[in-house]
Amino acid sequence: MKARLHVLAVALLLVVSGCSAGSSASVSAGPDTLSVGFTAEPANFDFTRTDGAAIPQALLYNVYEGLVKLDSQGRVVPLLAKSWTISPDRKTYDFQLQPGVKFSNGAPFTAEDVKFSLLRVKTDWTISIKSTMDVVDHVDVVAPDHARVVLSKPSNGWLFSLTSRLGAMFSPTGVADLANKPIGTGPYVVAARKRGDSVVLKANPAYWGRKPAYKTVVLKYIKDPTALNNALYSNGIDVISAITAPDSIPQFQADDRFQVVQGTSNSEVTLAMNNARAPLNDVRVRQALTYAIDRKALLDTAWAGRGTLIGSMVPPTDPWYEDLANVYPFDPAKAKALLTEAGATNLNLRLRIPNLPYAVSAAQVVQSQLADVGVRTTIEPLDFPAVWLKQVFTDHDYDLSIIQHVEARDITTFGKPKYYWGYDSKRVQQLLADADSGTPEQQVADMKQVARQLNTDAAADWLFLFPNVIVAKAKVGGFVQNQVSESFDLTGLAPR
Amino acid sequence: MRNLVIGGVLVGLVVLAAALSFFWTPFDPVKVDAAHRLLGFGGENLFGTDKFGRDLLSQIMVGARTTLYVGVVAVGIAAVIGTPLGILAGMSPRWLGEFVMRVNDLVLAFPALLLAIMFGAVFGADTLTAMVAIGIATIPSFARIARSGTLQVMSTEFVLAARAGGRSKLTIAVRHVLPNISGLLIVQASVSFAIAVLAEAALSFLGFGTRPPTPSWGRMLQESQELLTVQPRLALVPGIAIAIAVLGFNLLGDGLRDRLDPRLAAKV
Amino acid sequence: MTARVLRRVAIFVVSVLVASIVVFLFMAVLPGDPAQVALGVNATPELLAKTRAEFGIDRPLVTQYFDWIGGVLHGDFGRSYVTRDTIGPQLLDRLGVTLWLVGAGMLVALVIAIPAGTFAAVKHRKASGAGVSGLSQIGVAIPAFLAGIILVQIFAVQLRWLPSGGWTPPDQDFGEFFRGLVLPALSLGLVQGAVLTRYVRSAVLDTLGQDYLRTARSKGLRPGQALVRHGLRNASVPVVTVLGLQLATLLIGAVVVERVFVLPGLGSMLLDAVSSRDLLTVQGIVLVLVVGVLLVNFVVDLLYTVLDPRLRGS
Repeated sequence: MKARLHVLAVALLLVVSGCSAGSSASVSAGPDTLSVGFTAEPANFDFTRTDGAAIPQALLYNVYEGLVKLDSQGRVVPLLAKSWTISPDRKTYDFQLQPGVKFSNGAPFTAEDVKFSLLRVKTDWTISIKSTMDVVDHVDVVAPDHARVVLSKPSNGWLFSLTSRLGAMFSPTGVADLANKPIGTGPYVVAARKRGDSVVLKANPAYWGRKPAYKTVVLKYIKDPTALNNALYSNGIDVISAITAPDSIPQFQADDRFQVVQGTSNSEVTLAMNNARAPLNDVRVRQALTYAIDRKALLDTAWAGRGTLIGSMVPPTDPWYEDLANVYPFDPAKAKALLTEAGATNLNLRLRIPNLPYAVSAAQVVQSQLADVGVRTTIEPLDFPAVWLKQVFTDHDYDLSIIQHVEARDITTFGKPKYYWGYDSKRVQQLLADADSGTPEQQVADMKQVARQLNTDAAADWLFLFPNVIVAKAKVGGFVQNQVSESFDLTGLAPR
Repeated sequence: MRNLVIGGVLVGLVVLAAALSFFWTPFDPVKVDAAHRLLGFGGENLFGTDKFGRDLLSQIMVGARTTLYVGVVAVGIAAVIGTPLGILAGMSPRWLGEFVMRVNDLVLAFPALLLAIMFGAVFGADTLTAMVAIGIATIPSFARIARSGTLQVMSTEFVLAARAGGRSKLTIAVRHVLPNISGLLIVQASVSFAIAVLAEAALSFLGFGTRPPTPSWGRMLQESQELLTVQPRLALVPGIAIAIAVLGFNLLGDGLRDRLDPRLAAKV
Repeated sequence: MTARVLRRVAIFVVSVLVASIVVFLFMAVLPGDPAQVALGVNATPELLAKTRAEFGIDRPLVTQYFDWIGGVLHGDFGRSYVTRDTIGPQLLDRLGVTLWLVGAGMLVALVIAIPAGTFAAVKHRKASGAGVSGLSQIGVAIPAFLAGIILVQIFAVQLRWLPSGGWTPPDQDFGEFFRGLVLPALSLGLVQGAVLTRYVRSAVLDTLGQDYLRTARSKGLRPGQALVRHGLRNASVPVVTVLGLQLATLLIGAVVVERVFVLPGLGSMLLDAVSSRDLLTVQGIVLVLVVGVLLVNFVVDLLYTVLDPRLRGS
């Protein structure tokens, strides 16, 4: 008997020692509370220095606000700026600010903060998209409610980029610990976080605008797509922000308790080809691979047919969208001929992908289809984000890769020869520059040409456009159908 | 005896599937076929197909190869390193034996899964890192068995006689100790094999094992998850395959143990 | 006996030290610059250098090691390169979750194994006993994560009796905490219970064959009674040893089960830290797990010394 007691004592000791450590965020469930499930958890709250979509998804428009925001149609609309005017030479922007706005630490929001925030991008930010702000020449504080931004040259993309995290407004009194204590002007504040589990947002009582319907929103982080689905089934969450197990969508559609909101996104699932390195520096080889891949079959198998086929780096919600999906029809014979012509037989390419479900799925289809035209590939799943970012994105050590490009209007990355595409086309660079500085009409015309040129050069293979599929309990309404901004906008959600 | 037969049959089944897969599988196990995705049991594809339209039976057969490959290499590493260490510990002076066993305990503190995750982080996870990690983590059990077996053999009369006759320690180890503990080692190999199969499955499930598209039972399970509610078959088939292999090797180990000298077996 | 215990303590301390060095060196060879990982791709060389100095990774390895281990001894595991948060409190929080899981899993395993193993041993000549043994063989062959997936499908998705995953701390809502713990503990415990059943069975069988039990039975006690009155203590010695090993297995098995049930324990923390190359965090978690296993083995060794009368004399 004594022996068994000893054993129990050990077990109890271990259990009790764990007991005291279990304290954490308190979440009060109720009609005012909404629980939303996501797959990617923010490593910290500092999107000025940490790349990736997870942080702006949680914080932008919800905790941080910019002068302007993007609505569900992809239009730039007022937020902290009541209105703005653009000078005839399109280099000077005058913003009239909303009165009575306060940061969540109590500091008032003024034109000084606009100046501070916009200039801070150049000096303190380190993420990859920060260069869009290089065009800002200086910022004048005309009055506390009037900020004037002067650009060094006209830029269509600049105002648009203010709708992203780059335009988020910070207070000089609130940037001491961005990684852990975000302070913005938004309708929500971060109330608690439990790493590996959740972030709790509470309504900001001093919010200047319309108060959100849900007083508490719990952002639940569940990496595994199936576990995320199961959480919705078993009442663990109310909303799946974006389904990543597409084969399960019909189950939700067939169930009265749930609604499925389907739209498009900005997120091109792209087969990147290293344009700078043999053998993929040969346009014929890239075209051959593009002919060899049956994108319809890929979408049907890897992503249950959900999503849109596109032929360039432009989602249908952008003004310069054209349907280029059928320029390279599935044609293995032509692919083989092009490969022979290029002298690229017996290829063995490294397909280095992030170890994420969509990439692992798509890679297996790409591999099988390329094998049919005699191109061998080795799939190497890399830990994401760390290893993929380092080896593929930074060091360009890859032949092929598959990744979602989630940022809005990221077609401009093809204008940067040092970007991991390794794509260096003077024509595209010129067109992009012209589009940015020209009139809005010229911008659309030039961007169409860029998209066509990329398609002609087979600069990459755009496998499909990621669908935006939200699944939620039937009682929740107010979702943004097309995911065109970086934010998962909670402000419009309300009970139905 | 019953254990031995059942175990032998189950293991034989796995080995047969793996061996056959070198020459023939019903379909190409990695060929994507959109038109034939998610077919059910029966029909041309006996176990149906997965979401890529790949034949499940073919994947199971080639997956058996992966499973056996991992098991053989992992157990091989463990046996080749652990056995001499154990014999050394059993034959050498007490302090040295103690020391070897303490190092052994230290290795024991790094379980296979943990090692594999660490190796995966350093070298990039694949079948090789998984095998090596499982192998290293299995060394202590071989060393332990070999040592206690050696201690028994060393006190037998024929060894005492050989030592009195001036035979070198190496000769004694090779001529007398090794043959006498080989039975124990085979039992241990069989049991370790079962554990290795489970470990590989868990690692592939976590994404730290076999890379796609090489069929692996653990990865098949992982891929089956999202369709579990509508297509439980996708999880059932690899799940049963894993269970058969593990059950087979465990029973084989038990059966072999029963057939060994029960006195020796009982004491170890 | 005191000398024996002291020796065990010394071995334990040395093992922990050696393990910490191994863990540290292992992390030191990991590819990738933590500063680069933390700052992303656009960091300037100056900022990188500054961050390296801030992290302290520009110093010699020996200095780094002593700095780290010195901190750990005071419960300070450093500040994560990725989350920019202190690791220690986080680690403690996650360890709590894992220990609940392991404790509950062990409880399930014991509740299954002791009666089932004893039954299988006592009735080992009958079909019912053989049946229990056979069941345990099959139980051993099922991976814990598979058991988990199946349990979720049945009890969370179909029947909706229990949550499919997630964690509620016990001090916040004990009912929810308990409901959330049931399925993970079952998937961990069922399989370990099957493993343990086999050991309990053979330990009890051994004991049943001993002379004193035969004597007890010849005095008219039924096998079960004889066993309870005389045999359990003796049977417990090998079982305690196995239990120790099992506890270590459970600690690691929890890594996988945490993934299935989305529990914020040490395992999921480890996997996340590995994929974001949060080296200092990985280092801390691995150290805790390894020391945990060493500690369990140490305690088992001690118990063994105390329990086994033959060892007590020496």
